[in-house]
Amino acid sequence: MSVQKKSIKITLISLLFYSLLVATHEGEYWPFSIYPMFSKAGNPWTRALVRDVSNTNPDELWETTTLDNLNGNPVSMKSIGVDQIDYSNFVSKTKEWDEKRILALRNMLGERYLITQDWMIFKVHGKMIGNDSVVVETVPILLFKSDTTLFNPNLSSNYYSSE
Amino acid sequence: MNLGSLITDNLFGKPDNLTKAHRFYFKIFELYIVYETINLAWEWGLYTLKISDVVLPLGIANIIDISFMHDNYLPVINALAISLLLLFSFFRIGSKWLYAVVFVLLHFQYVARFSIGEIPHSANLVGMAIFSFAVGVAAFKDELHRYRFIIGFTIFYIGLGYFSASISKLIGTGPNWIDGRHLWLWIAEKSTDILSREGQFNYNFVQVLALNSIPAATLMLFIGIATEFIGILIWFRKLRPYIALALIGMHFGVMMSMNIRFDSFMIELIILGFPFPELYNKYKGHLHYFRRV
Repeated sequence: MSVQKKSIKITLISLLFYSLLVATHEGEYWPFSIYPMFSKAGNPWTRALVRDVSNTNPDELWETTTLDNLNGNPVSMKSIGVDQIDYSNFVSKTKEWDEKRILALRNMLGERYLITQDWMIFKVHGKMIGNDSVVVETVPILLFKSDTTLFNPNLSSNYYSSE
Repeated sequence: MNLGSLITDNLFGKPDNLTKAHRFYFKIFELYIVYETINLAWEWGLYTLKISDVVLPLGIANIIDISFMHDNYLPVINALAISLLLLFSFFRIGSKWLYAVVFVLLHFQYVARFSIGEIPHSANLVGMAIFSFAVGVAAFKDELHRYRFIIGFTIFYIGLGYFSASISKLIGTGPNWIDGRHLWLWIAEKSTDILSREGQFNYNFVQVLALNSIPAATLMLFIGIATEFIGILIWFRKLRPYIALALIGMHFGVMMSMNIRFDSFMIELIILGFPFPELYNKYKGHLHYFRRV
């Protein structure tokens, strides 16, 4: 068999293997991928932010607001050595905020910072409104204090648990 | 010549023999992939030490519980093993299957690292290049045959990847995908990511242009999807440099409009997109002339 024939034969076999894996795993089986990112345009999205709210008025802590009117001071993920996409996905994809998941998030961000600071975990929702504007709103969901974690009293328990 | 033969010839038909320039070029490509892989293995391994829960199982983690890689030093040991095996592979010491072992270990490293929700693609081309070396070194003995196969196989999957990205968009959304308002939503999303990462954010001039003009934003998306669609033409040798340039330009545009960097994609496109050994062999007489002057 010539080199070219052998090469294309191996390529086609690998393509079959590749196709089977991505077809059965929603388009992703690293490093095999159909690159589906950004394939669904116009959908609402959810990301996440952290703010230091140690000095924020307790009456304003749980307000849903916009990016321009957030309480507290920003906490840069870069400065604490956390990948911001990881953090966002952890927060936005968690459906069940049980003790294990909360501890995992506190561990990811770094318990040492929480000894002296109160950190608010915000979900950030973006969506199209009408034909010509994008609205971004921020919802405080968890308050990390040194000795405890508080849920937003304005949100129902279904928000934190599907059970 | 039918299309199948034409594609086969364009991917695997050259060179006829290996010159010094080809050998040097191939080792530079291999060195870059080895360097990137070692870098990724350690970056992912060290970061995995911070992870203690699985939110989104990827790849092999759908079959086995990947949490055995968390809360211990296995990711670091894995990074060490990958690094050593890559050094043996690079110098062709030991089994022809070493790159294949690296490929499997790197997959474990990836799924352990990205088990908390993120599905990044920035390292996919490096992973596919390791796959190419794994298959090429195992299947071919002769250095010329390995060269032709590994370069051609890598280019095959680069072209296929860009093409499938454009088709995913057409299936996921349809022709309406290019509506500039979709870019507004992505700019807002990525701006939030930068705000989260840096603690502050400012729009650049490309983003301001897109946000102020629907036609401008629509044109940006059209150029993006059209470039991905023609990415498959990188399979053809004569078109390869032009397609590589277009794809590099597209990545630059994505970086400016959405703050997403694909550095390793761009470097790999620069290495594989242009016929450096052939250009060197063609013009080496002139280089010699310049040295004498």
